[in-house]
Amino acid sequence: MKRLMMAAVASALLAATAMAQPSPIRIGSTLPLTGNLAFFGQHSRWGTELAVAEANALGGVLGRQVEVDYQDNQCNPAVGVSSVTRMLSDKTEVALLDGVCSSVILAIMPVVQRAGVPLVVANGSATAIADASGVGGNKWTFKVNPSDASLVEALVGWLQQNGNADGIGFLGEDTDFGRAGMQAFEQALGRRGLKLASVDYYQQGTADFTTVLTKVRRANPKSLALYSVGADFQNLIRQYFGMGLTIPLTGRLLTDQIPPEILASGRLNGATAVQPYTAEIDLPANHAFIAAFQKMHGAPPNLLSYEAYETTRVLLDAISRSGIAQPGAIRDALQTTKLHSILGAEIEFDDHNLAHNNAVIVMVRDGKVQVVGLSKT
Amino acid sequence: MDGIYLLQLLLNGLVIGVIYALIAMGLSLIFGLLGIVNFAHGEFYMLGAMLSFFAVTDLHFSYWTTILSVTLVASAAGLLFYHLFLSSLRQGDFERSILLTLGISMVLQNGGIFLWTVTPRIVPTPYSYAAVTFGELQIPVLRLFTLCIATAAFLALYVLLNRTLIGKAMRGLSHSRHAAAMVGIDHRRVARLAVMIGIALSGLAGATLAPVYSVQPTMGSAFVFKAFAIVIIGGLGNILGAALAAILLGIVESLIGGFLPLTLADAAGFVGMILVLLFKPEGLFGRGVRV
Repeated sequence: MKRLMMAAVASALLAATAMAQPSPIRIGSTLPLTGNLAFFGQHSRWGTELAVAEANALGGVLGRQVEVDYQDNQCNPAVGVSSVTRMLSDKTEVALLDGVCSSVILAIMPVVQRAGVPLVVANGSATAIADASGVGGNKWTFKVNPSDASLVEALVGWLQQNGNADGIGFLGEDTDFGRAGMQAFEQALGRRGLKLASVDYYQQGTADFTTVLTKVRRANPKSLALYSVGADFQNLIRQYFGMGLTIPLTGRLLTDQIPPEILASGRLNGATAVQPYTAEIDLPANHAFIAAFQKMHGAPPNLLSYEAYETTRVLLDAISRSGIAQPGAIRDALQTTKLHSILGAEIEFDDHNLAHNNAVIVMVRDGKVQVVGLSKT
Repeated sequence: MDGIYLLQLLLNGLVIGVIYALIAMGLSLIFGLLGIVNFAHGEFYMLGAMLSFFAVTDLHFSYWTTILSVTLVASAAGLLFYHLFLSSLRQGDFERSILLTLGISMVLQNGGIFLWTVTPRIVPTPYSYAAVTFGELQIPVLRLFTLCIATAAFLALYVLLNRTLIGKAMRGLSHSRHAAAMVGIDHRRVARLAVMIGIALSGLAGATLAPVYSVQPTMGSAFVFKAFAIVIIGGLGNILGAALAAILLGIVESLIGGFLPLTLADAAGFVGMILVLLFKPEGLFGRGVRV
């Protein structure tokens, strides 16, 4: 009897304690956790995890801990729509983060609009995302990092100053990301009276690039702009090197993913790239981010990690300023965002809900990646 | 027409085709003998590649030692695979075999993602970026090795199936299980050996190709669906048919990609598979376990 009474009292205390704890703020995140882009999805998730862990360590947001529900979209628009629809159906998520893949983001934009939940885009770079957001479009979608159009404009401007903007060939994945990149190049070059020397696409998941690289060798452009990510990029750059190609590379070249022995060989000297981020940026806030990321995940951050980290900070800041952690209030707070980026710029959204963070131009010199330009987009 | 360009495309296509053949051979053998479509075939190829990565980077095995040891481990994995899962399947359990091997495929792939994450890994070798040139034609050294290894594997399989008693038993079993039993062929013993060889071939493919392509737990998907198309085009269980279909596919893909948008090349294999199923469902070279 005594034991029964003690058990009852303990249960009541436990229930009371649980009721006293405020419920966590739930954010949804749709990422490619399997499939060819899974490596990028993993890094995007890690960036978000770091930002959330930092916020929770300081007591959370609005006195509540933050939880993120990660769902796999396989970089497939149909899977993304299905999983996001399911995720938002229980109405517990106050906001949604990214998709990594531009094709998925474009597909889920109508879903978040119907659900009335803000979608904050970290990684997808297709220009069409911002074009369809904000005034006259989807008021629930916000894009934190620069679009392809602005990144490529910065790169082509830099290349033109250095006399390297003509005769550029293009090779990219056959997705919204790759096609947006090609369009961005055509537009940026067109404004300068130039055009692309050649255009080729490959299917995502392609392991063997010998055919297309043989084609590129025959076309022999003055430089080759790459729009390739994940394991595809790894295979592409290794096979490019193995085939002895010396066409200078540019575009969205993932310099942090190039195998060290290829960089060290010197054959890529002169290669240029434009990205929203590189670890080589010499700023204290960036060094602190890299150290914290390395400590938490045992691996250095990459572009995707940074974008997700910065975007999650933006979202958490908006939730905090909203005061009530409701989707409508968060959307309104996002529109008035003014947050200092770890890259030094101010993150503010324009009429199309697009922030204009810096574009970073890097070059490979003497086997090392160096920042040669920072350009406001 | 640029003759050198065309020759390079043909050479590339031949190599790519041989790569497909190396992956498809094991699948063809298991299907031909047991009537089982092994949907986990791509994951055994992936496991072979992952094992190679650890053998080279952690155990510091050489390229050739890695290939030999991974192939042996894969055959042991095949033995386990047969005893744990496939031995319970009866003739006619086709749907059950699909669900079983599909489930195993998901477990292996997701298990790999959990254990190793999806970070692409590179298997370093002294030959990684070396190439052999014949005039203006070029072939990377590792692909030349792949050509030789695949040819050797095919010849070994030919000798086994056509010049040994157990090979004869395998061919007999693929024609009729009942007739084979009547002449005293132990079905389980033969099936077990076939699965061991089939999985060993996928492990061999993984080990051979690990230095060529990035290694990560989802790498099996890139080739395994093409391997299915090749097995159907060549004729179910017809290993020579699969090899010829693979080489044909590699060359066709290379030529299409060389003169037309590359994205059209990927459709070639599946268009071929559909045409074969419509007009010659037994495959271009007929069914049955033979080389």
